Amino acid sequence: MNNSTVYIAERLWVGQLGNGFVILSLLAALFSAIGYYFYSKEVLTSEWKKFANTAFIVHSISIIGIAATLFYMLFNHFYEYSYVYQHSNNEMPLQYIMSCFWEGQEGSFLLWAFWNVVLGNILRKTIEVKWEAPTMAIFALVQVFIASMLLGIYFGDYKLGSNPFILVRENPQFANLPFLQIENYLAKIDGRGLNPLLMNYWMTIHPPTLFLGFSSTLVPFVFAVAGLWKRDFTTWQKPALTWTFFSIMILGTGILMGGAWAYEALSFGGFWAWDPVENSSLVPWIVMVGAGHVMIINKNRGGSLFMTHLMAIASFLLVLYSTFLTRSGILGNSSVHAFTDLGMQAQLVIYVLTFVMICVVLLIHDKLIRVSYLMVSFLILFFGIVYGHKIILLLIWIGISFIITIYSYIKFFPKEEEEESLYSREFWMFVGSLVFLLSALIITYFTSIPVMNKLFTMEKAPIKIADYNLWMVPFAIIALILVAVTQFFKYKKTDPKQFFKQISISAVIALILGCSAVIPLYFLKDYSSASSINKWNLISYAILFISALFAVFCNLDYWMRVLKGKIRHAGSSIAHIGFALILLGALISTSKKQTISKNSSKKNVASLGEDFDAKKSLVLTIGDTLAMGNYLVTYKGKERKGIDVFFNMDYFTKDANGKLIKAFELSPMIQDNPRMGTSSHPDTKHFLSNDIYTHITYGILSDTKAVKKDAYREPTNFVGHMNDTIFSDNAIIKIDSITTNLSEKQFSENDSLLVVTAVLKATDINGTTYRATPKYILKNNSVLPSEFELKELGLKFIFWKINPQEGSIEIQVSEKVNSTKEFVVLEAYMFPFINVLWLGCVIMIIGTIVAIIERRRLNKVKPQ
Amino acid sequence: MKKIHILGIVVIAVAIGVIFTSLQSSATYSDFIEASSNPDTEYHVVGKLNKSIPVQYDPKINADECSFMMLDNKGVEKRVVLHKSVPQDIQKSEQIVLIGKMQGNEFHANDILMKCPSKYNDAKPQA
Repeated sequence: MNNSTVYIAERLWVGQLGNGFVILSLLAALFSAIGYYFYSKEVLTSEWKKFANTAFIVHSISIIGIAATLFYMLFNHFYEYSYVYQHSNNEMPLQYIMSCFWEGQEGSFLLWAFWNVVLGNILRKTIEVKWEAPTMAIFALVQVFIASMLLGIYFGDYKLGSNPFILVRENPQFANLPFLQIENYLAKIDGRGLNPLLMNYWMTIHPPTLFLGFSSTLVPFVFAVAGLWKRDFTTWQKPALTWTFFSIMILGTGILMGGAWAYEALSFGGFWAWDPVENSSLVPWIVMVGAGHVMIINKNRGGSLFMTHLMAIASFLLVLYSTFLTRSGILGNSSVHAFTDLGMQAQLVIYVLTFVMICVVLLIHDKLIRVSYLMVSFLILFFGIVYGHKIILLLIWIGISFIITIYSYIKFFPKEEEEESLYSREFWMFVGSLVFLLSALIITYFTSIPVMNKLFTMEKAPIKIADYNLWMVPFAIIALILVAVTQFFKYKKTDPKQFFKQISISAVIALILGCSAVIPLYFLKDYSSASSINKWNLISYAILFISALFAVFCNLDYWMRVLKGKIRHAGSSIAHIGFALILLGALISTSKKQTISKNSSKKNVASLGEDFDAKKSLVLTIGDTLAMGNYLVTYKGKERKGIDVFFNMDYFTKDANGKLIKAFELSPMIQDNPRMGTSSHPDTKHFLSNDIYTHITYGILSDTKAVKKDAYREPTNFVGHMNDTIFSDNAIIKIDSITTNLSEKQFSENDSLLVVTAVLKATDINGTTYRATPKYILKNNSVLPSEFELKELGLKFIFWKINPQEGSIEIQVSEKVNSTKEFVVLEAYMFPFINVLWLGCVIMIIGTIVAIIERRRLNKVKPQ
Repeated sequence: MKKIHILGIVVIAVAIGVIFTSLQSSATYSDFIEASSNPDTEYHVVGKLNKSIPVQYDPKINADECSFMMLDNKGVEKRVVLHKSVPQDIQKSEQIVLIGKMQGNEFHANDILMKCPSKYNDAKPQA
């Protein structure tokens, strides 16, 4: 920073306005929380209500004001502001200004705060009076924390939040930029621009949907916390259920978009890689689904109180925790795509712990224990700040909180006296929710390995994708079986005979269809040669396959026979069918994913272990035609559009006569990104039953030098008869006919000169046929050297031998050397039936929407 | 004993079981020396590419093999054989993590993660 320089033309008022909104939003949220707190204590006065509501509206306007200010800066390219300078530039197309907005951490926090404000106001307007004050008090408190993320104020060395309105010259990261020495630097600079990786339509729709999903988990959370607080454990659940369904729907959509984006635009070769960033959106969804189900039990049957509170609270806490994971920099080596560390680690930890603490405090129904727990917590915080030993103190605190939670549950929480029957719907729904919760905990634990490393000073490497799959398959199987059968149980008590009779049809169909699909898929070829771990995998895949079919048929059956095909009540059946199809599609497309690019190298590395035996890189030289799966592929060359280099390839199939027909073209791309380095983007051809996915693993991005002339490779000898075919790299050559200048009689009479001509027809990839006529010349019983060059195809033929006994001829074929010839290294896969997965996603979302509509209708019909 | 208690016990047992087995089986971050002493165990070795020695990659011979020298965090240098196509940006890498095992004097890796210097890594670059 250069303090002596007086800068010209900076529009400082914009940042001041923005900062005004930041401070106002924080204060208004705080006042609103206080207001709702006092409003919740009093029954009659509406003074606090008015105050709190006004404060919340002011807060909402401020958040929108912050967003509008930031947009205004981005639209008008105010590069004096660090955020604009970092994320936009003069060429930024209008549609990506949105992406600039949420590219950085501050913008994405703002997006989160914005959705919270939208949902908060809807909640405030629609909620029954009884729950308004307590839920909104907690809601406003959460907003205090999120608004503080945008503060960027220093307390000594410690920075609270990260401000989107700081100037470039105030940002220590840019302190040494040379242009800051110039008074009117603004006239000379352009922004750094948006990361080109993010300039695609997914980045304009995926983040807002996902963040709306994250925001939506807040509503069930505030209901559940309010329930703990007011010690009314049941009446909040009915209004909260619609919100829970909404959260399941929107968060599910966000995750689906993430998967689709990964599959379409990223190059790890799949739709799900168990990356921490992906897991941190999946886990809250899983818990939310569990919460929704225990809340349904509670609505129909009562009970399950602790689980409803636990899961509704856990979903939001897990969103907070994943915010910490992905934004604190703690993932380090284990994730290739976490956010950069903005020095907010401590702050994020404290936020997560504060909300855990609030929940524990509210759970304790004893003043003495409550006060002691609070005192101990603050003492631990104090010791941690003053004396260090933060990790040990943190572990102690977690231990204490855990023990107190269990104690409070036993001591203060209402419990059901009556035990559920084994043949009741509520029992199995409860088991299902427990399975969901457990799988969420395991994924969280796996994802948290870097955190564990820090807590317990270990050096564990992140869990592998294959291990995630291995552990999650049994959970998926149990979940699917429960999804299949649970609807056929009645609440309270079911006649077992009736139950088994009802599910038997679906079971039989699923078993027959499943076995006839599973045996050829997993057991005919693969099983006998598989290692023991893979044998286990194959068996579990088979069970998963059959369970998924079982779940689909059971739910179809329930919808058609029990619900008589009515759509209004069928939300859950439809959503369950979707869920089962998702798992089925994921299973088939992952387990039967075929590498169609095959490495022709003879080197065998199987001795190194299974992980090494993946020869999947194919070298494709320009003009070459190589077989890939059912296709023949030819590389046509590359073209550069800006920073994107496209590698164009044609895929051919053979028709009944063996003639090549062009099936489709793919243009996988490598982005030659000056800021991010290169990144490979696949191209995929979608068919109804499978996808052909191709991506470049190695390509030369610069223009290749001209082809060297007249150098030929070592010849290869071919022995052939009439009508035989010879294969070269770029042509198919047929021996069409053999002619001589002399008849046999003439030859025996006159042995001076014999010329035998082989007429060859060489067909290239485009179907053009060329004639080659190499000659075998015999003079005075010795062969004269003669070669035939087919320039068009870069082939040279030497017809050098005739074997009269076999009736065959021998021809040496050499191909032109092209050491500088353009080539690419690629990997290609065939994903079978991946459309089942996408179809399942859409069906599940539709089912959830049907359930939301029905729930809203019911809530209107019977107001409480 | 109620059914719910049995469920609780099952849940806790599974959770402990998963934590224990995954801790037992998962690989650890390490260095070349430790990998040499257990040649058949998989390790994640963190280090830096030696940029003064060229990376060898000839797709015409084997598109799934490249080789380079890497210095681990303890300063030990070993030849690495990566059984994959060469990562396009390897020359720009600041830090690499190799997943694989030691065989003789060479480290055979089946996967590689790279950290490249970039101002913004808040996107999903290629894995």
